[in-house]
Amino acid sequence: MALTRINIGPVHPSTHGVARLVVDLDGDTIVKVEPHVGYLHRGVEKLVETRMYMQNPPYMEKIDYVAPMSVDELYVATVEKAMGIEVSEKAAYARMILLELQRIASHLFWIGSVTNDLGQSFTGFMWGFRDRDVILRLLEEATGQRMFYVNMRLGGVTREFPEDFESNVLNAMKYMEKRIKSYENFIEKNPIFIQRMKGVGVLRIEDAINLGVTGHVLRASGVKYDVRKNNPYYQYETLNFHTKILSYGDNLSRYRVRIMEIEESIRIIRDSFFKLQSAQGSMVGMPVKLISPKPINKISIVNRELPRGEGLMYMVAEDQKPYRLSMRAPTFINLSALNHIARGHRLSDLFAIFATLDLVMADVDR
Amino acid sequence: MNIKRELLLGTVKKMHEEGYDYLVKITAVDYVKTLEVVYILRNLNLNKDELLEVTITPEDAWINSIIEIYKAAEWYERELQEMFGIKIKDKKLKKLLLEKWDGKGYPLRKNFLWNKPYEKV
Repeated sequence: MALTRINIGPVHPSTHGVARLVVDLDGDTIVKVEPHVGYLHRGVEKLVETRMYMQNPPYMEKIDYVAPMSVDELYVATVEKAMGIEVSEKAAYARMILLELQRIASHLFWIGSVTNDLGQSFTGFMWGFRDRDVILRLLEEATGQRMFYVNMRLGGVTREFPEDFESNVLNAMKYMEKRIKSYENFIEKNPIFIQRMKGVGVLRIEDAINLGVTGHVLRASGVKYDVRKNNPYYQYETLNFHTKILSYGDNLSRYRVRIMEIEESIRIIRDSFFKLQSAQGSMVGMPVKLISPKPINKISIVNRELPRGEGLMYMVAEDQKPYRLSMRAPTFINLSALNHIARGHRLSDLFAIFATLDLVMADVDR
Repeated sequence: MNIKRELLLGTVKKMHEEGYDYLVKITAVDYVKTLEVVYILRNLNLNKDELLEVTITPEDAWINSIIEIYKAAEWYERELQEMFGIKIKDKKLKKLLLEKWDGKGYPLRKNFLWNKPYEKV
């Protein structure tokens, strides 16, 4: 039978940004999916070569605008490594708290968009966004901004936490734990959701490794890899938390891994606040000056567990500017695996699979 | 580890057999006189990363493909081809991935000036 080629997009399907898919179909079965990307390409890697080191964080935040602080932190950590700047214990805990809050916000955003895509009317969407807003308010309290924080400074963060920040966060975490239970009741017991998720988009462990997928996609296929555990940074090794994995590799596993990750993040935040009380050093980093200290390492490589997977920066340092900054964008590589995952499924399953990969097109295109 | 271009494929194959089964990243740096292609491979069991560097010249910029070994390499190699003009030998990869660029030059090379007016090839 002759194949039918259809074009989907450029649209905004559950991703944040614009993607276009060209799908070859045999009847209703997908034979090949070819993602066309680049609609949000801004040439960030070229742009940073023309700016001084500490002029770049605002650009970095726009790479992944659902979790801006995490990319900002990755960049600042790379610069810190190049310059040999140490982060004090207190600043490390402060960063961990903010990053985990950001991770929860990003995951909730995703739950909102994935349930919306699967046709669970509007409830899941509103729930996800409402709960995310609780976290955004906390981040606003700590940084002064709701979305683009530019809160990382060399050696620390911009400012001390406000006085009642700890109690506000801990209260919000209690609320979040209750909400997670509601999600389980509402979403995981929904027959439509289960039918569209269970056994759909299976990615086996050996394929997951060979395709190089990362983050929740890798962990849902049964690979126990989390940068926070395997290559610990800041004070993550002093805390007690687990890398959550599942082995089915289907859509539902990817969803469940994320829910479990939120629970782990809540634990990390609680422990970090406890340890912050006795931590040494100053939370506030160096003030932003155009002229930065001279880099001592020519090449620095830093990897971090971003909300969407492992992010890595490879920086070749020059005197006052990055000579070359290359970023491994987690969603770039997850999207390249879409063809492999979606092949053999029905067309209606394509967007369920697409949604669970959690793509931010700005991150794919950079 | 700095290796010769001709030895790349053999080295990568050997490392893959040794347990480096996860490709983290392929990228390149333009040092004007030379181009350096960087491969980051990971052994998930031993939790160890290994860096491979291949130095080539801009006049003779080609490299062997490792897609046969790591499927993850495809988009990275397409990016190299598009951004640095490094040809992927014996592989017919689609030309454009991110840029949709039909102008002169390769965007991430140092001789490509971002503020220069656009010239169509």
